[in-house]
Amino acid sequence: MQRIVVKRDGTEEKFQMKKLINAIFALLDGLDIPDDYEIVFKVAKELDLKIPQRVTTEELDYLVLKAIEQLIPKHLIYDTLASRQLLKIINRRIDRRFGSFKDYIEYGVRQNLLKEELLNFDIDYLEQNIDYSRDSLIDYFGLTTLKDRYLTKDREFEIIEKPQWFFMRVAMGIGNNEEEILKIYNKISNLEYLHSTPTLYNSGTTTNQYSSCYVNVIDDSLESIMDKAKETAFLAKYAGGVGTDVTRIRATGSKIHSLNAKSSGIIPFIKIFDTIVNAIQQGGRRRSSQVMYLQPWHLDIDAFLDLRETTGNPYFRTPSLNTAVWMPDEIMRRIKEGEPLYLFDPAECPELVTSHGEEFTKHYFECIEKAETGQLKMWKKIDSQEFFNRYLFKLAKTGHPWLTFKDRHNEHNPCPEYSVINSSNLCTEISIPNSPESTAVCTLASVNLARHINEDKTDIDWDKLKDTIETMVLALDNILDKNFYPSEESRKNTMDLRPLGIGLMGFAEALVDLGIPYDSDAAVDMAEKIAKFMRDTAYKKSQKLAEERGAFLHYEEMKKAGKPYPYPPRRNAVLLAIAPTASISIIAGTTSSIDSYFSNIYSRDTLSGKFIVINKKLMEELDKKGLWNEEIAEKIKSQGGSIQYIQELEGNINKSLYKTAYEIHPYRQIKIAAAFQKYIDQAVSKSLYIEEDLRNKMFDIYMYAWEEGLKSTYYCFIDKTVKGEKYMQKVNKRGSRRGFGLLKERVKASQSENNQEYELKEIEEKAREKYGDEIVEKVKSGNIEACPTDPLLSKICPSCE
Amino acid sequence: MSSLNFIGKTSVRDNIRLTDNPKYPVFKNLYVKQKKAVWFPEELNIQQDVLDYKSLNPTEKDLFDSAVGYFASSELLVQNVLGNGFFPVLTDPYVKMSFTAQMFMENIHSDFFEIILNTFDMDRKRVYNITLEDKLLMEKQELIIRAVDRITYGKADPDSLEGKKQILTSILLNNIIQEGLFFYSAFAHFFAMKDVGKMKNVVSGVELVLIDESLHLQNGIEAILTIIEENPEIVDDIKFVENIRDTIIDAVELELNYLKTKFGGTTIFGVSYKELEQYMKYIADRRLEELGFDPQFKISQNPLKFLQKEDVKKLTNFFEVSSTEYTNF
Repeated sequence: MQRIVVKRDGTEEKFQMKKLINAIFALLDGLDIPDDYEIVFKVAKELDLKIPQRVTTEELDYLVLKAIEQLIPKHLIYDTLASRQLLKIINRRIDRRFGSFKDYIEYGVRQNLLKEELLNFDIDYLEQNIDYSRDSLIDYFGLTTLKDRYLTKDREFEIIEKPQWFFMRVAMGIGNNEEEILKIYNKISNLEYLHSTPTLYNSGTTTNQYSSCYVNVIDDSLESIMDKAKETAFLAKYAGGVGTDVTRIRATGSKIHSLNAKSSGIIPFIKIFDTIVNAIQQGGRRRSSQVMYLQPWHLDIDAFLDLRETTGNPYFRTPSLNTAVWMPDEIMRRIKEGEPLYLFDPAECPELVTSHGEEFTKHYFECIEKAETGQLKMWKKIDSQEFFNRYLFKLAKTGHPWLTFKDRHNEHNPCPEYSVINSSNLCTEISIPNSPESTAVCTLASVNLARHINEDKTDIDWDKLKDTIETMVLALDNILDKNFYPSEESRKNTMDLRPLGIGLMGFAEALVDLGIPYDSDAAVDMAEKIAKFMRDTAYKKSQKLAEERGAFLHYEEMKKAGKPYPYPPRRNAVLLAIAPTASISIIAGTTSSIDSYFSNIYSRDTLSGKFIVINKKLMEELDKKGLWNEEIAEKIKSQGGSIQYIQELEGNINKSLYKTAYEIHPYRQIKIAAAFQKYIDQAVSKSLYIEEDLRNKMFDIYMYAWEEGLKSTYYCFIDKTVKGEKYMQKVNKRGSRRGFGLLKERVKASQSENNQEYELKEIEEKAREKYGDEIVEKVKSGNIEACPTDPLLSKICPSCE
Repeated sequence: MSSLNFIGKTSVRDNIRLTDNPKYPVFKNLYVKQKKAVWFPEELNIQQDVLDYKSLNPTEKDLFDSAVGYFASSELLVQNVLGNGFFPVLTDPYVKMSFTAQMFMENIHSDFFEIILNTFDMDRKRVYNITLEDKLLMEKQELIIRAVDRITYGKADPDSLEGKKQILTSILLNNIIQEGLFFYSAFAHFFAMKDVGKMKNVVSGVELVLIDESLHLQNGIEAILTIIEENPEIVDDIKFVENIRDTIIDAVELELNYLKTKFGGTTIFGVSYKELEQYMKYIADRRLEELGFDPQFKISQNPLKFLQKEDVKKLTNFFEVSSTEYTNF
């Protein structure tokens, strides 16, 4: 069967494997690889099956990519090859359209895709400083993610941005002059830090919206609910996630005086937001998202816990919303000590909404007193531990609501005179004072710690880290003045407080480089040291910026009002927040946030599809020590990505460096988050990974999280025990039972020595003599292409049996 | 009561008590596993895939529609086979629980494909008729229907050897060939979609269907192995045993003929006919070996390497794709 290649101009030619093999060799250019033939052969073998009878050159390029991609779990080299092939595909199409970066920028401005102001910079000078060799820092998963969602597309959805152009475009949307732009470009294109996804999408473009999160508050009035519905719609439209406090809304059955009727409670109103969020595609590239925060003493709390259930009345379910509980200390104490929990209507007890700490406790006791003496119309007394266990069950079952701690957030509020902190945000890392009139905004960026290790891998490169953090403070502060604010409330909050959110990713990867197991006290110490350094550096830089650009407005106002805050002037009220970095850690090719490696091999579901992720550090180390081979790879896979019980590795590597998320006790996970939280002025978003066996310990685990002083927890992942049949590995469902093999055994027993298998071996030996091993192996592999016409060979060919 | 065999005739009053010490512990185990695997279609954000669906090219759309059509009309068929044919001859309470758990899961699957149908505004009549209009698909279903019709409503006597063989054949066709071969073929089409970043939320649901189907497969294999163990005289009939093996191999041929019409000389979602052919043969060998036969095709490895993504732990970017990692139990 001769295959045909259809070329771009429509002409046809015979498919030649040789040509394709040369193209694969070309991908290896410049790499120092001893067994390049073997690698190319493997890829070609994969391809042979893939290529159909008629194929276009474009499709061929893509099939080469797919063939290489399949081999990624086998060796690191295939990741490099896949990235190179993908880059080739991206660049080739762009090169046909644009002669230079400048061409692209001018085209983007003409098409009204990019901001006109970009043309004011010396683009030739910037272009001279683009370093294309940095493309090689991006791995395949990262490059795919960039290609699918981050690289700017023209009006026909064709990509018009090379990866380095993308970094430069982002930098141009942030820097005020060429010097700043290059500083930022060099940092982000070297993956030393990255801005959050909305910034990467929109910086320098006409959309111009840089922020990740907004946090608003709904008041107890229909007017406020509908205003916030509109605000939310616009925040969501521009790719922001929204956190919303709904605690003020009166409970079901509470009186509405103006109508002389009873309220239908919070759930139907929350449902409105579910519909809005569903309707709006986040910037067209990511689903829009919202989280609703409720304090647990609200009378509608039970229905709130059920919002993410999948069964029941659909009007009381919000599949597209996230939920979180804003938990006061007093209630945690009651749960811990087994004292009853009282639920109230915020319309009757408004003082509970904004008070916190001891003040809340005082009010809570007063409300209890009023309730027990008949002064309140609506209240309820329930068993607090039973409530908490029910809550934890919902958390394990639906992943919601998340648990966040109201008093921890509020006791570190740098601007209590501005407002209380009413809730956190979508990813629970934000902690900014806000109110119905002032919507908190956070603009995020995260350091990639894995790119800040010194040369001999003995310590963090602290000087470099300092330089990166200072760049980030400057860049983020710049953004605040360039940003588009979808609502007046959000502009106000930013101009008053100028909050920044500097976080980090690659913590776990950095620990491996430093030889520190994540599950160790040394890791906790390191976490604290890094957090303190980040805080000191960021604050110093912000204070310096205040000298040049002035302190944040609210600080100055308080000073003028004669109630100055007891700290030196700085540019930004808050500066640090550790976000989950789900997407940008993929681009940076590192571990997300402060999490451990999820597993040494796992798959990851994203908007771009499903990807295999391998712990590259482990692969590298095993490869260096000559221990990496397909058997080990299969073993790791069959153990769910764990290496702890693989005998061959005993004594050869430090296994404790490669523990997976479920192998690290939640207490340790909490300890590490708590160490960071000590110095992070906003919050640390921490997902907990809980092994199925520890599921009945969730009460203790979440109690521990509170006692250790976390401000926030995030998703609760519980290892799923029932899995589908394995696709790649041998599975034996039959065990030692014989089934229909019973017959075979009987036949065999009666056939004495003259059995078929023996005969086959003889024929095979003959064939080997006659045709050589290579051909025999090919035939035995059952490869249809190798279908033998020779009668001797067809006897051993499995497909012709 | 303990003298009862795996299949037989029982009264409704027989064997209605559970014990600490079940006669077939593996089915108790399978029941628990199925319970843990329960999910509901509403957990998935299928509507997020609407734009994707609209962007499929005609060949891709045809493949998607056919796969949905085949599942939509087969899930309740599987349930019928169990309900009308197999369940009445089961004797042990845990075995019954395990198979009714399976029947419940078929509801969920039908429900799931029904929601897909509605969400993408697919032509209901056309989708359900796919198995009537496509001759090869019809043949696949007929293969099962014919055998099962022979045993329903007491037509097969579970106490006779002949009846046992018929019952065994129908469970083989249903749980092994339908769920373990034909469904596995369609699974690969769905997973190929997610591999190229399309129809991700639908495919997340199919991932759950896969978990369920591998448990159903196990139900079938355990049933068949148990029936043989209790009635070794079944394999005295060499012709019958050969027939079983041939049935499996014929089913592979049937599936390959179908795949050829879909994938012929092209690739869809980056997958070619030749890859699928090797894949089906690889899966068929697996089924043969699970029943105690020698493998037929001897394909050393699964050529669809993207399927290894289904073999490892999964982490979901929550705000992007429906998560399938929470359990309802």
